[in-house]
Amino acid sequence: MGNIKRLIRAEMWYLLFLLPGLCLFIFAVFVPLVMGARYSFTSWDGLSRTVHYTGWDNYVRAFSDSDLWIVLVNTFKYAIIVTVLVNAISLLLALLLDTYLKFRNAFRTIFFLPGVISIVLSGFIWKYNYAIGFPSLFGMFGLDISSPLGDPNYALFGLILIAVWQGIGAPMIIYIAGLQGVSSELVESAKIDGANARQSFFRIILPLIAPSITINMLLVLTGSLKVFDLVYVTTQGGPAFSTEVISTFIYKSSFANFQAGYGTALSMIFFLILVLVTIVQISIFRRREVEM
Amino acid sequence: MNKTHIATFSIVSVIALVFLFPFYVAALMAFKTPKQTFDSFYALPSSLSFENFSLAWKASKYLSAITNSLVITVISVLLIVLVSALAGYSIARRNKPFYNFVFIVFLAGLVVPFQITMLPLYKMGKELSMLNSHWGIALIYGGFGVQMGVLFYAGFIRAISREIEEAARIDGCSTPGIFIRIILPLLKPVTATVLVLNALYIWNDFLLPLLYLQDKFYRTIPLQQYFFFGQYSSDLNLAFAYAVMGIIPIVGFFLLMQKYIIKGIAAGAIKG
Repeated sequence: MGNIKRLIRAEMWYLLFLLPGLCLFIFAVFVPLVMGARYSFTSWDGLSRTVHYTGWDNYVRAFSDSDLWIVLVNTFKYAIIVTVLVNAISLLLALLLDTYLKFRNAFRTIFFLPGVISIVLSGFIWKYNYAIGFPSLFGMFGLDISSPLGDPNYALFGLILIAVWQGIGAPMIIYIAGLQGVSSELVESAKIDGANARQSFFRIILPLIAPSITINMLLVLTGSLKVFDLVYVTTQGGPAFSTEVISTFIYKSSFANFQAGYGTALSMIFFLILVLVTIVQISIFRRREVEM
Repeated sequence: MNKTHIATFSIVSVIALVFLFPFYVAALMAFKTPKQTFDSFYALPSSLSFENFSLAWKASKYLSAITNSLVITVISVLLIVLVSALAGYSIARRNKPFYNFVFIVFLAGLVVPFQITMLPLYKMGKELSMLNSHWGIALIYGGFGVQMGVLFYAGFIRAISREIEEAARIDGCSTPGIFIRIILPLLKPVTATVLVLNALYIWNDFLLPLLYLQDKFYRTIPLQQYFFFGQYSSDLNLAFAYAVMGIIPIVGFFLLMQKYIIKGIAAGAIKG
């Protein structure tokens, strides 16, 4: 009997250690998720004390909502272009910084720097760079340009440029760490076997840093699908709906248009899309990875 | 220095200048008067004047915002470190289905987008009078941060040998005793990582403060920046001085803590 008692007491401490973290998680993530799932089946306006269940109405409405399709296209266009550009540029910079370059730590700091300031700040700085800074810079060379953020055709690309500027840092660090794991002996022996720089990059380095590519693609893509702050502080979704993304659309439905039920239904759909994207991406990239 | 080295160095330098350009424009605007800016946008100011800064300091409640940001960040980060280290220890040392299940639930929680939980969180905050308070928002950050925190701590503690712990247990040391005397002193590197990554995120976060801190006395730095820029959009030199004032503390923090931030990001990627 004494033995069992001691066993329970020993286990109790471990459970007690787990408890605070688990409670916080349940409070901040799990309960709101369940509440959100419930609201998505109601016509709740976000304010009133009572809610009415409307079954799948919100979901049916979402599929026939033409605005939602525009928003989804905007979101994916933004996210895919950002993902490709951020990964290409950060991999290039990582390759350049992985050599015995002078001041490479200073360069690494510079490329990371935009990522540490708040999006409110970077959005503000870029908004006026676009509006005044660039036009007067290009004006010196006789070129006449205006802010892309004011033009429905270019506004999304204007935002993409800001996101790339701010988003290079972390993926670059991950690529540098990945490149440091590639043994230089392998690259050397390939060179002796007659491989040129391009061949050794595509045949040796790239397959070996595949795990870094997987994680960077996943992090940047899911991160940019969730973009909110940047749009909210610069264009507010305009001009002419051209930069409205899923997060700002959900925010407006939930808080500005008093359609909380519909807003949470949209966010549940968004959740499903995120899970799908994650699964598809992991299964595609995992297949390309090689074991060392 | 051979030819390829010089070529690489020049390419990287040019890209670096492009990356720094927006900062340069911000500093330029902050030190010039509207008239000087109008005369020539890119000309350097004739004299170094801090007038924009003192005006921006007076017009904004900068001190109050930075205090709010500091208090919220410190409480949240301490909370995250404390609960994640404890939970991470349990998960790392009890290799039982229940603990593994909790671990997976934490990881799955990372996929849940804030858009779903934001409205319920707002409603909960209102009913539990957690809005417009430092501890209310800190509890939410604690719940968000514990997921990644547990991942870091459990991974780190698993790599620590159990031998010393078992010897201490035979000598009659209890579980909390072992945690405090043996494990805790070893956790410094991972704690530094969890601390700086969360601090950076919480300091810069915008959406949760936008929902939770609507009273202007509780505004954090990004929130106050947002309203300040809206209010002073016609006096750009003043607004840019304020922007530079916002850049300085966070860039200073980054430069000081750079080592841990970079180590943390690289370590996080390997675990993921």
